[in-house]
Amino acid sequence: MLALKNISKSFGGIKVLEQVTLTFKRGEVHALCGENGAGKSTLMNIISGNLKPDTGSVELHGKPVIIEDVLEAESIGIAIVYQERSLVDSLTIAENIFPVNPPLNAWKLIDHKALHRNTALLLEKLQLKDIRPDTIVGKLSAAQKGMIEIAKALAKNPAVLILDEPTASLTHEETKVLFSIIRQLRQNNVAIIYISHRMAEIAILADKVSVLKDGVLQGTVPATTPVEKVVQMMVGRTLAASAFNSNATEQVLLRIEQLSGSGFRDISFTVHSGEILGLAGLTGSGRTSLAKTIFGDVPYHSGQMFINGMPFHPQNPGRAIASHIAYLPDDRKTEGLFIEKSVADNIASVHLDTAKYHKKTNEQLALQYISQLSIRTPGPGTPVRKLSGGNQQKIVLAKWLSVSPELLIVNEPTHGIDIGAKTEIYHILKNLTAKGKGIIMVSSELPELLLLADRIAVMYQGLLMDILPKQEATEEKLAALASGIR
Amino acid sequence: MKLKDRFTDRIFTLGGSILLLCIVMTVIFPDKFATIDNFSQLMLNLSIDTIVAVGMMVLMIAGMFDLSVGSVVAFAGGMAGYLMYYHDVNFVVAIIAGLAGSVLIGFVNGWLIARVGINPMIQTLAMMGIIRGFALMLSGAGIQNFPYGYIVIGQSKLLGLQMPVWYMIIILLLFAYFAKNTSFFRRYYFIGGNEKAARLSGIHVEKMKVWAFVISATLAGIAGILLSSRLGAALSTSGRGMEMRVITAVILGGASLSGGYGKIWGAFLGALFMALINNILILSRVSGYWQEVILGVILIAAVGIDQLILKKMEK
Repeated sequence: MLALKNISKSFGGIKVLEQVTLTFKRGEVHALCGENGAGKSTLMNIISGNLKPDTGSVELHGKPVIIEDVLEAESIGIAIVYQERSLVDSLTIAENIFPVNPPLNAWKLIDHKALHRNTALLLEKLQLKDIRPDTIVGKLSAAQKGMIEIAKALAKNPAVLILDEPTASLTHEETKVLFSIIRQLRQNNVAIIYISHRMAEIAILADKVSVLKDGVLQGTVPATTPVEKVVQMMVGRTLAASAFNSNATEQVLLRIEQLSGSGFRDISFTVHSGEILGLAGLTGSGRTSLAKTIFGDVPYHSGQMFINGMPFHPQNPGRAIASHIAYLPDDRKTEGLFIEKSVADNIASVHLDTAKYHKKTNEQLALQYISQLSIRTPGPGTPVRKLSGGNQQKIVLAKWLSVSPELLIVNEPTHGIDIGAKTEIYHILKNLTAKGKGIIMVSSELPELLLLADRIAVMYQGLLMDILPKQEATEEKLAALASGIR
Repeated sequence: MKLKDRFTDRIFTLGGSILLLCIVMTVIFPDKFATIDNFSQLMLNLSIDTIVAVGMMVLMIAGMFDLSVGSVVAFAGGMAGYLMYYHDVNFVVAIIAGLAGSVLIGFVNGWLIARVGINPMIQTLAMMGIIRGFALMLSGAGIQNFPYGYIVIGQSKLLGLQMPVWYMIIILLLFAYFAKNTSFFRRYYFIGGNEKAARLSGIHVEKMKVWAFVISATLAGIAGILLSSRLGAALSTSGRGMEMRVITAVILGGASLSGGYGKIWGAFLGALFMALINNILILSRVSGYWQEVILGVILIAAVGIDQLILKKMEK
């Protein structure tokens, strides 16, 4: 029904897609996998009209179509659920679901009753019972917003539905609802393109799997293909699991007692020196808020913290840094980097309050980390915007290592970087523990937590569900805990 | 709507404050405040600002603002006056020319901001100076002696209220109705709320932005024609400082600088509140100098209280 013929696309001389030819059939769930940066999103943006291919064509029902923009894609029945939120917090659910084409009356004015009714039907279909069409979206939880995003796509009655990592913020229950809806759509002859890196989901939901690697289609296989084989197609080699030994010691570095703050309550745990404590949970479970609280960026309401047995009250990040705590944020572009500034300036940016600004010193510091972390950059004076995601992440890491932290909190340290850089960052983190540093690793990627962490704490709706030692933790157990199931 | 939500809804809090002020004033100055004359004068004073504020509200919902509106007010009146006085142009044609000029200014603003990517603050700041210059060239020391037909527009009365008040009411009703019931205006809430999301939802953000500036400049043009007709003169200094007054009114009325929030009625309530404060100060014989001080304090208080409530609610 929908066919892509020899699609190629480059950005600034870098080939993102190369001669991709793919066919999507109606009544079929077609999974698309690949590492970050493999070209999945670019491909989806081409189908949904956000980008135009350099060469090649998109065919619908055997006829070539040129999709000029999102509206045109919708008019020929293509709807997409974006990974990044496309909702507006200040508006109601109903308005968010019908942003461009709300139901109109005979006078071409918005038919508020029909808008309300249509929305209520969709909410019912998605089994969202506690919320109403006129609820303001800003008041919803991350998971509910994820469901509204799906409702928005369903409202278009699509013939082709693209879902880009739809379960990233959903709980167990909502994921089940979503899957039953997808199966229902499949029966109604909708073509479904399902992008995910969760192999377990693909195995139970999809009919076919296509794998992209570095913009090249590696092949399309039935979804019954063993997971290991699909992963091998994705990364081009098999992942070496459990190559890391524990460096954890008996010495308690950080102790948290009954800590309550914005988005979490009654959290108690310890981090030992030399230990990596994993922190798992869905988006919106309070992980990031907890991490930022320890770093002093978000105030807490009650509870106590101790560093090496001494009471610790971080009131602002400056004080946390002085206590040798560092925090690597999850969004390096908005919270970690000064994207237009040079490598050296970025690394030196945590020393602005203590040292004099001295270009030479900064560059020497940068050179030291460039070789230590093997950052690939033309030089310390290059603006970081010109570097790849993996190298940018290493620069944020270098910035925080330069304050010589005893406790390093890393939030999604490998988000959006390629497999090579990922492995390097794993080694850097593990080497730090060998020197006795403690690490709290917040991550949505369960495999990486299982690979690196000595213990894994799981949060759900602001509560600490459990802390599992590495030996007891499995992906299934962690996923269940993250959905509130003990 | 729940009671808690009511207290964060500016239409409700501002409307309540206005009502309270009116009651208090009626008790203190029964023979001066609660008169038809005072009411009609109050409405006349705020009508011109309100018309401009409606356009500014649309822009601020979309997350932008326009500093050139005060200059456009002077320009539109000056353009019409110039054509009528020096070239004996029919007053209808003169008005159309004044409005056409305003539309063009709005289009240039919008096009340069949306298509070329100039920051709205810089673009409209520059335009404010440019248009003020043109207004000076057109009306010089001021133009008077307008034809009767032009004077009637702003100086006649209907049911005891001056015509500018009626125009304001018509514009308010139209815009409030359309802002609620047409997807065209609803799109501005998306653009202001999350521009990227708006684009991904298929909204033509650039086109909509150009339209917003055209709407704002057109309303400023209408206000300019009305003002010159009411005064019986086109002055190059008309509308000086109006942009700040109007932005203050719109923010008091519930708009946010980052966009996504605001209702058309908020523009009216904001302007009404400011006119009311002015009226109270005059009646209480307080020096006019205090007006700006008090308005500044009120603006900070209104926005500050909002932030405090928001922080409380997040906990």
